[in-house]
Amino acid sequence: MRTSSHVLVAYLVLLVVASVWRLLPLVPHAAAPDVGGLVAAYLGLTARGRIAPAVAGAVMVGYLADLLGGAPTGLHAVVGGLVCILGHLVHRRILVRGLTMTLAFSAFVGAAAAVAVVIISELADRGLALGSTGRSVLQIALGTGAIGPTVFWLHRRVDAAFARTHRERDAALEGITS
Amino acid sequence: MTFRRRLVDWSLAGLLILVPAMVLRSSLKTGNHTVLDDAILRVSAPLESAVSWLVEGVGGIWSRYVGLVGVESENRELRADNERLRKELAAAQRRAVDTDALADLLELKRRSPADAIAARVIAASTTPQFRTIRIRIDRGQGEVAAGMPVITSAGLVGKILDAYGDHADVMLINDPDSKVNVVIPSAGRGGTLIGEGADNGYHGKIELERPLDASGKGVVREGDLVVTSGAGGAFPAGIVVGTVASVTVKSYRMVQEIEVEPAVDLGALRAVMVLLAAPPAPDPDAEHKRKSEPAFGTRPL
Repeated sequence: MRTSSHVLVAYLVLLVVASVWRLLPLVPHAAAPDVGGLVAAYLGLTARGRIAPAVAGAVMVGYLADLLGGAPTGLHAVVGGLVCILGHLVHRRILVRGLTMTLAFSAFVGAAAAVAVVIISELADRGLALGSTGRSVLQIALGTGAIGPTVFWLHRRVDAAFARTHRERDAALEGITS
Repeated sequence: MTFRRRLVDWSLAGLLILVPAMVLRSSLKTGNHTVLDDAILRVSAPLESAVSWLVEGVGGIWSRYVGLVGVESENRELRADNERLRKELAAAQRRAVDTDALADLLELKRRSPADAIAARVIAASTTPQFRTIRIRIDRGQGEVAAGMPVITSAGLVGKILDAYGDHADVMLINDPDSKVNVVIPSAGRGGTLIGEGADNGYHGKIELERPLDASGKGVVREGDLVVTSGAGGAFPAGIVVGTVASVTVKSYRMVQEIEVEPAVDLGALRAVMVLLAAPPAPDPDAEHKRKSEPAFGTRPL
């Protein structure tokens, strides 16, 4: 239920980004923030004992990102799964709290997800220009960093709604993972 | 958690990543949407359309409101006289913004003999490696199919990738998978333009049949117009694609590599036209006057 709620919230954010990003002034329209990667990283960070449900959620969000973002089905789903595992592996080593840390972590996730997409695209023989790709990765990282705090805030609210105690609720809102 | 449970958990996670990897492999080969994809897109496309409409509307109201406040403070004495005119102007501008793109398409449809249908752009790809847009077809649900060319009054936009209900995905011509057979009329040379995935610009390669002669015949120059050749049947001949931005001649002078600047601003598309059928072939006897045969009376032997 918790994971489904995260997927639903991510779907709505993806819808808004896919529709609105092209209309925003002063942003690179071809390189939108990687919402799927952000949510996957969040699910990995907050996966409580078992990783499989978080990966399932991340794959689902990635699949929706593929459909709404016009990418081949499965591309962001694979990347989402990998980012989720990466998030889970680092969740005991870093604490994503506060605006600066959330911005930096989101930008890192955006860059990592964009590089993974580029690698998979290269494996699929897309034949991309390297200079253009490097610029895109940077733009995606910046865009993802910019919306990261909002996306994390939304998903923390979801976690808070599923908290069983006040302590759990406060911890979820603060971004403290156990 | 016991070792066995952890093993099962991680194995399941690995399996969950393996499944979309296989789906990706399949979708890269076929490029078609499944029934589930279509169902999700049928639900999502109207929502995207609504969000897009809402944001465009709010943005328009905001910009007009701020503009009105500024003018009012500067023209306090003439407010009463100007108010009516300003309102009319604001209304006209609002209508103009909404209808400019569609009027452009109507003009294109009037000029073009091809059977075409108008569509609005409701969303764009969020992945730079895959340049697609999503469109809402105004009328004619079910008539649009994969492979149909998409154009604006400025030139070629791309082709339909997949259609579902009254929505469709369009592969832009700067997508790395896009291949367009083109010709440069001034040079009399043709080739295939391949999208390079850049924000704007394509990469083209034209192979010459023989080394360049001294007259310079067949040389492609910057600024030359590039149009579709019609070869292969994917796009009708004569649609403007762009202009030559740069030309690189290889040392052995057998190959010219050209960079093409698109005629259409692919990042600012609002409305497009889908060509449902190619224009009819020109009548070869159009120049010759034909005498009608008498319908009545006797015919001389």
